Amino acid sequence: MFETVLGALTMGFLQTLKLFAVTLIGAIPLGLVVSFGSMSRFTPLRWLTRTVVWVIRGTPLMLQLLIIFFIPGQWMGSSPWPSGESGRFLAAAIAFIINYACYFSEIYRGGIQSVPVGQQEAGLVLGMTRRQIFFKVTLLQMIKRIVPPMSNEIITLVKDTSIARIISLQEVIWAGYAFLKGSHGYSGLTWPLFFTGVYYLIFNGGLTLLFGWVEKKLDYFR
Amino acid sequence: MAILEVHDIEKHFGATHVLEDISFSLEQGQALAIIGSSGSGKTTLLRCLNFLETPDRGRILVNGETLFDAADPRTQLESEIRKKRLHFGLVFQNFNLFPQYTALQNVTLARELLAKERGGESREAILEAGKALLAQMGLADRASHYPHQLSGGQQQRVAIARALALQPDILCFDEPTSALDPELTGEVLRVIRGLSEQRTTMIIVTHEMAFARDVADQVIFMDGGVIVEQGDPRQVIDHPREERTRQFLSRYEEG
Repeated sequence: MFETVLGALTMGFLQTLKLFAVTLIGAIPLGLVVSFGSMSRFTPLRWLTRTVVWVIRGTPLMLQLLIIFFIPGQWMGSSPWPSGESGRFLAAAIAFIINYACYFSEIYRGGIQSVPVGQQEAGLVLGMTRRQIFFKVTLLQMIKRIVPPMSNEIITLVKDTSIARIISLQEVIWAGYAFLKGSHGYSGLTWPLFFTGVYYLIFNGGLTLLFGWVEKKLDYFR
Repeated sequence: MAILEVHDIEKHFGATHVLEDISFSLEQGQALAIIGSSGSGKTTLLRCLNFLETPDRGRILVNGETLFDAADPRTQLESEIRKKRLHFGLVFQNFNLFPQYTALQNVTLARELLAKERGGESREAILEAGKALLAQMGLADRASHYPHQLSGGQQQRVAIARALALQPDILCFDEPTSALDPELTGEVLRVIRGLSEQRTTMIIVTHEMAFARDVADQVIFMDGGVIVEQGDPRQVIDHPREERTRQFLSRYEEG
């Protein structure tokens, strides 16, 4: 029994990890684009971006996920998402990337704006382009400042992936719950549900170590 | 011919006139000291010369070439301004060293980026030049230190080496010792004095009157965004003609 449960939960957790990884890969760069939009000198773009960030951060991720997954099908007659797990995954990934990009963008904005303006001016008088200044001067200082809030947000993301269960994505909690409800010939099992927590704990423990290591690596300057 | 000519510079922030009718010229190899109380526009003037601010009126010429003319938008293209900035170097009050780079990397970074873009100098040559500059600043043994491992005076000397690395025509100092503890100002002033002995063309905004009198070939006293008095340092500082200059200097002597 233990092996059956472990196998099913591990399959579920792989799906959790996949959603986690795809969200990060999409949201980390997209967040940077959004943060540039929210700091743009072009006022309409700045306000548009800030409004989008307000809406996304101001409403539940679960609601956004339900809207992205169900509403297009309702309005267009047929769902644009492929059927089955791959369609659910795609919809979840898009909702998560948009949602997390907005959160990340605010962290980036805080990070960029906390780098003293004198750094940029020093780069300018040395004849550097704005691009060179961003990549060679500002970026690493910004990264150093955003590691603690980003690690917070990323650990939250690990747990937030379970929200995708609302559209029946077969992540680890979905897999654990299946043993309570009845599956693989078992029903009424409660411990698998508790056991899903172990996966989260171990993975987040690893992430905490990783972020601690990154912080230490960036400790060589102030 | 003057290396730098500034004609009728004017700058306002909203309704506040920060600079008005600023005109002066500077000969190659000379040092110009700008004195005046806080808010008199000294720093804004330096920032205009380094294209960190755009004057609302006036012209700036270096070696007879018009770098900036408020009446001619063609002199204000972003792509051109970058190149023009290289005529000037700027040493900031707060150093503004790049914290994630060593002293040597701070000195060589911009020059390496330029060399990559334009070709020419090898990386080795740039590193050697950078080390020589640090040695000239008395920091040969600090090349691989990060800014936070250096004292304020050492940081400011690295910043001077960084500005010199690009071989600007005119090196500007914005109150280079104002952020330093009194016991650290000496080492920075000595370095600047050394540069003046090598006939480096410099503009120094400073509150160190004795230093200005010793080092400068020319002094400008500014108040309320205008040049009140300019001329030989012994004349302006020791025998000011204008009442406002006298008032300013007497407040200085009282401490």
